[in-house]
Amino acid sequence: MAEFKLNRDKLGELVKALKGEGYRVVAPVEQERTFVFEEVDDPGEIRLDVLRTKRSIKGWFFPRVEPTLSYEFDGQSVTCKSDLPESPPKTVIIGCRPCDAASLPMLDKLFDWDYRDEYWFKRREATTVISVACDAPDSYCFCTSVGGAPDGTAGADLVMKKTSSGDYLLEPATEKGTAIVEAAKSALDPATGNEEILVGEVPQRFDLGAVKPWLDDNFDHEYWKEISYKCLSCGVCAFVCPTCHCFDIQDESTLERGVRLKSWDSCCLPIFTRHGSGHNPRSTRDTRYRQRVMHKFTYYVDKFGVTACVGCGRCSAACPIDMNICTVVAGAAKLAETST
Amino acid sequence: MRLEEVIDEAPGIRTLKLAFQDEAAGENFSFKAGQFGLYSVFGEGECTFCIASPPTRKGYIECSFQEVGRVTNALRQLEVGDTLGFRGPYGNWFPLDEMKGKNIIFVGMGIGLAPVRCVIWNCLDLRADFSDITIIVGSRNVDLLPYKPELKQWEEMSDVNLVKTVDPGGETPDWDGKVGFVPTVVEQLAPSPDNAVVIICGPPIGIKFTLVSLEKLGFSPDQVYTTLENKMKCGLGKCGRCNVGNVYVCKDGPVFTAAQIRALPQEF
Repeated sequence: MAEFKLNRDKLGELVKALKGEGYRVVAPVEQERTFVFEEVDDPGEIRLDVLRTKRSIKGWFFPRVEPTLSYEFDGQSVTCKSDLPESPPKTVIIGCRPCDAASLPMLDKLFDWDYRDEYWFKRREATTVISVACDAPDSYCFCTSVGGAPDGTAGADLVMKKTSSGDYLLEPATEKGTAIVEAAKSALDPATGNEEILVGEVPQRFDLGAVKPWLDDNFDHEYWKEISYKCLSCGVCAFVCPTCHCFDIQDESTLERGVRLKSWDSCCLPIFTRHGSGHNPRSTRDTRYRQRVMHKFTYYVDKFGVTACVGCGRCSAACPIDMNICTVVAGAAKLAETST
Repeated sequence: MRLEEVIDEAPGIRTLKLAFQDEAAGENFSFKAGQFGLYSVFGEGECTFCIASPPTRKGYIECSFQEVGRVTNALRQLEVGDTLGFRGPYGNWFPLDEMKGKNIIFVGMGIGLAPVRCVIWNCLDLRADFSDITIIVGSRNVDLLPYKPELKQWEEMSDVNLVKTVDPGGETPDWDGKVGFVPTVVEQLAPSPDNAVVIICGPPIGIKFTLVSLEKLGFSPDQVYTTLENKMKCGLGKCGRCNVGNVYVCKDGPVFTAAQIRALPQEF
């Protein structure tokens, strides 16, 4: 239950209070005719009303490009140093959606599988996530079909819920969330308990329980060719997706020094699985698109017990030729229905 | 790592012997047969190869590779004394403990002999632990057979049965081995599946047809172990590149039984 609320006009004070406590504040802002998460100086730029930013928040934990180690050449010898960021800045991300927040514990499972990915976890530990519940989801949203909700708390340290007066109730979900409420006390007012909370509805688009068994049995189905015919293998879906996490490792150097970089990659891209010999197990678009859906909706489930999709709809909204993963998966669920 | 020795096995195939620059790290380094590492040329990138030397020999590791692209080309430019990167060991391993007392049949085709060679020497170094050892080696032609001096050693061992073969058309006038594709040679040799285990590696099509021959001879897919080579980058189960079905080749493999491979979507 929310003890405090943020008055609609006090967002600036909240940001000031957080900055005063040493937090870097990241929030959705308008940039080049779209909305992205950026570090904020002027709280007037913050857009809590934006349903769906172009890119997800994953870049704040898993940067698009980052160095893993640097090296210098000296004759036949090479000296290396690690580029692991030992102390990432204390950060608060404010204004993501519950689906965005849900992607974080989902990815934690992979990044902690046997080898703990410190690049990810150091940033996770340094970051507090404040999500804003959705009062106006759209037709691309399908969080409720993949175990989420427009007011879900998974992955969020604090959930802000919009009320009919335009103020936001603050519901801490973790100790970090409580710490934020403490840090921001000066900008908050006590909740009355009578506020009318606005939470939108996201109708269920498919039965997730029917999807996995169908995927497990239909690897060679014609369906994959049919639904991927238009796919350009451009990779935009993976780029904007909160749960896509495949990456590449490349060296870049001069004659004197260099760096080993980790950067975003995608199973949709044509040479993702190409061997040095030229052999490519996924040389066609249908095999690649199938991999994307399979990985998210069955392989990840087998490995980590959770679907690797949060239903945010970004991939569908961003796709240049309107491919829609929700429609694809709903189609599979439909086929599952008709075949039994 | 410091490059200690360069051995040209065959046209395009080279073995590098590497020593640890940090001696303490070298002394503490251990691995199991079947595991792999990522070898890098700083400035060019990393490459995944199995560790081709056996874990029973300390102080150095070896990798064998075919030149196919940017990093393997850069590896071939290295000279003795140059510095390389290495990280590992990663992946799972051949369960040799479960194979004690059994007849081991090794099948290595072309560069696929590299991971098998590691296990061969591991077993030979612990010879008393295993029963009969058969080694079947095949390649497109005589020139392309890797580890030629070692093939001779194995041939001369009285407690090892070495069978070497080249594809039809790949023989030379003085070739004293068989002529025939490996699956055919395996069928002709007709090893018994009783108390036996097969360790095989080679090009996907070679493995596929040899499995057919082995099944004709009565081997069950659980008795046959292979190592999958997939494109890998991180080696740690994070980057997603080697994901096939619900396994990650770098973590759940690269060693799999034929039964496990059959259960995967055939896209590797």
